[in-house]
Amino acid sequence: MDSFDLIVIGAGPGGYPAAIRAAQLGARTAIVEQEAIGGTCLNWGCIPTKSLIAGADLFAHLGRAAEYGIQAGETRADYPAMIARKDKIVAKLRGGVKQLLKANGVQTFEGTGSFQARNRIAVRAADGALTTLETKHTVIATGSTSVMPGFLPKHPRVVESRAFLDRPSLPASMIVLGGGVIGCEFACMAAQLGVKVTVVELLPEILAMLDADAIMELRKHMQQKLGIRILAGAPLTNIGADDTGVSGTVGKETLRADLLLAALGRRPVTAGLDPAAAGVALTDKGMVVVDAFGRTTAASVYAIGDVNGGPQLAHAATAQGIAAVEHALGHARRAFDALVPSCIFTAPEVGQVGLTEQQAQASQRAVTVGRFPFAALGRALATGDSEGFVKLISDAQSDRLLGATAVGPHATDLIAEATLAIKGEWTAAELGRVIHAHPTFAESWMEAAHALHGACIHAAPKRR
Amino acid sequence: MSQPILMPKLGQSDEVAPIVKWRKRIGEAVNKGDILFEIETEKAVLEVESFYAGNLIKIVVPAGQAAPVNAIVAFLGKPGEKAPDVAAAPASAAATASPGVEHNSGGRHGGRPSRVENKDSALPSGGSGSVPTVAAPLAASAVPSKPGRLLISPRARALANTSCIDPSGIAGSGPDGRIVEKDVRAHLDARGYDKLRISPAAKALAAQQKVDILAVTGTGEGGRIMTEDIQRAMAERPKPLTLMRQTIARRLTQSVVTSPHFYVTVSVDMGDLLKLRQEAKTRGSDYSVTDFILEACIMTLQEVPEVNSSTDGQSVRWHASVHLGLATSRPDGLVVPVIRDAQKLTLVELHQAAKALAARARDGKLLPEEMSGSTFTVSNMGMLNVENFTAIINPGESAILAVSSTLPTPVARDGNVVVRPIMKITLASDHRLVDGAMAARFVNAIKTKLEDVSLWTRSI
Repeated sequence: MDSFDLIVIGAGPGGYPAAIRAAQLGARTAIVEQEAIGGTCLNWGCIPTKSLIAGADLFAHLGRAAEYGIQAGETRADYPAMIARKDKIVAKLRGGVKQLLKANGVQTFEGTGSFQARNRIAVRAADGALTTLETKHTVIATGSTSVMPGFLPKHPRVVESRAFLDRPSLPASMIVLGGGVIGCEFACMAAQLGVKVTVVELLPEILAMLDADAIMELRKHMQQKLGIRILAGAPLTNIGADDTGVSGTVGKETLRADLLLAALGRRPVTAGLDPAAAGVALTDKGMVVVDAFGRTTAASVYAIGDVNGGPQLAHAATAQGIAAVEHALGHARRAFDALVPSCIFTAPEVGQVGLTEQQAQASQRAVTVGRFPFAALGRALATGDSEGFVKLISDAQSDRLLGATAVGPHATDLIAEATLAIKGEWTAAELGRVIHAHPTFAESWMEAAHALHGACIHAAPKRR
Repeated sequence: MSQPILMPKLGQSDEVAPIVKWRKRIGEAVNKGDILFEIETEKAVLEVESFYAGNLIKIVVPAGQAAPVNAIVAFLGKPGEKAPDVAAAPASAAATASPGVEHNSGGRHGGRPSRVENKDSALPSGGSGSVPTVAAPLAASAVPSKPGRLLISPRARALANTSCIDPSGIAGSGPDGRIVEKDVRAHLDARGYDKLRISPAAKALAAQQKVDILAVTGTGEGGRIMTEDIQRAMAERPKPLTLMRQTIARRLTQSVVTSPHFYVTVSVDMGDLLKLRQEAKTRGSDYSVTDFILEACIMTLQEVPEVNSSTDGQSVRWHASVHLGLATSRPDGLVVPVIRDAQKLTLVELHQAAKALAARARDGKLLPEEMSGSTFTVSNMGMLNVENFTAIINPGESAILAVSSTLPTPVARDGNVVVRPIMKITLASDHRLVDGAMAARFVNAIKTKLEDVSLWTRSI
């Protein structure tokens, strides 16, 4: 029987960095993956969607080429070619990760890992062959999968995000059920490529966890520029699907479309894992119970990423994977970081970190808000992408930065600077004093920090 | 015509009292009987009512300042009326204003400021010179000294402020030990200031809250001081004790140090008495268990007068009366209201007196004379679910009885183990006056009284 210091179950964005970190620390390491190295993120999530979104974004810009003085002629989106490009990128990255695991001496086992005991894991390969491995430490990183509730008809026209990405063509019209991150990203991408999209959200607002101003900005673009219909605050009922299309009722209106994309959230994957055999407890919703260090109820067994019920974000899983491995191998005792930025690749993009203005105000403290619109930023005007704004929230008493929101061009990249500043407990005044290169989008943070103290250079003073 | 408001006479000892809080603002209407302000005495914070009606037109002695008895502290008058230009009477240096209260300069009220001087140590040294300085070192190092008392150059202070450090501990090399910039720099170097890592927000908070960052341990990456660390330092910052707590500290320390305590405990079977009380209750009399304990103490003190006595170490005084102190807990400390001439009271009168005093104590309405002169004290923690405890003798007394909870307890009765409601009582005695045998006799006499129901059936 092969024996290891540490075994990671699941080779997604949480699992494979965990395995590499373990190998770096000198542990004899194995990783078990039942489907594809890279997990949801690389194969059916972050990377493929961003590949398609890049194409959609270029297509949208080409549509505006005349604004830049470019005559692009007639442009046409070749969706199968876009899919092929996406598949190529995914394959390349997957190969890269495989290579990295190998180069670090991590042994990869293909198959479904399940606990036989706390220190013994069986891997069942697709052909039924069973390999049993011994381990000192285990990291569960099995991730999550899309929820497909029973009220959705089982029909090829009713898909979740992964099945959508496997489709060779775009529908002419689409109902997106669920106005969360995944739903809105797909809605924007499809709409940019000419699909008639209707988003149906049960809650009163789409992307409810976002800053209220950011939602307003995003809604404006989605509805006015992309022609997306947003129906929030009511359920989609009487859902039907046949060979001619899908249908459903919202309030008194009946919707019809070619396709229904269900984006109703994700649930943890523990099927076949048999966590009980190791003494690993699950919540009633099936998430692995962990403490602040990722320790499960079984000694030497950790759980990281989507499966432990934390933020369902690849970068959170990566950070947790590294922290858990360092903890397991006695390298560093560090709790999971709570400051996790979120990036939404809609059109326009949204980046958010820390508290929103509404959360900060609800936290019973005096807060100061500084906001700067891209419409007042030289680079944004020069680039032709001047929608949106950045916003900083700070504690009025100490000036400590508490949160930041960016919506607009490069918002998902811009949020990194704010994350760094909040993590380092910077004050708004200090951020405002840092020289930001001109002309760049990042200058917006400096301007917002100035605005927070009523000293914005590129905005007219408020009338008193 | 404006009406001056005077500092009332508070009791036997206090000649000067600090005003802790004004309950009325300038311009506010005051009715006869309204609470005007609060003063702090050694025993408690007292509310002072107005004997007059009018508008508060001037405060002569602001909160945080002390004034002698009969000094003018404020004026009432008609709205808009101008008050006479009167300076606050200077409180003598012996006055003990609560150091926790921020002192305003009295200057703008005309004349000399009546600012109360603090001694170098933030805690007053107290009445007795023999009391050891329990809290003094803490106070000296930790309570920020008042600006103006530290000899320091402006440049040195500016450097200390921008560095977020407390300069008060630095040895000055200037004239008269004045701290100069060089001294602050040397202090920063010696304490490894340049190696200190602190987040900008943490530093801003430290500067604002005057936290000495050299005294803070960082818990961030690589020992970096984070906001959380400053907040912890703020929470841990020593606060001056209230005058009441200072008094408790001084008196109890004095007692422990000067009178050699010893303790004798007995278990009292309360079964029969509880039954009797229940019967009395059904008949409509609401005696509490405490009433019986107090009455048992009063009777026993008359039988054993040695326990109802005081000594100065040279002579002993037996008290002819029983002035019974009842240790009463309040959120801000402990008060001991006194039932005077308790031996003259019937059980009903005792019950009423104890009930009334306890209520006044809880509401902070006790008068100074109601809190002094006890000859023996009972501390009852029966309602606090304790098995047994010992108490510290009130200074000037020879013993204190600690009464614990009545708990179902297995006991031996006629060779069998039975469960009985048992209450432990522990007498703490001053060995200078009371010996073991006498203490044993005393507690057993109380026990016998509480267990012998026939004694009580007559009185209820």
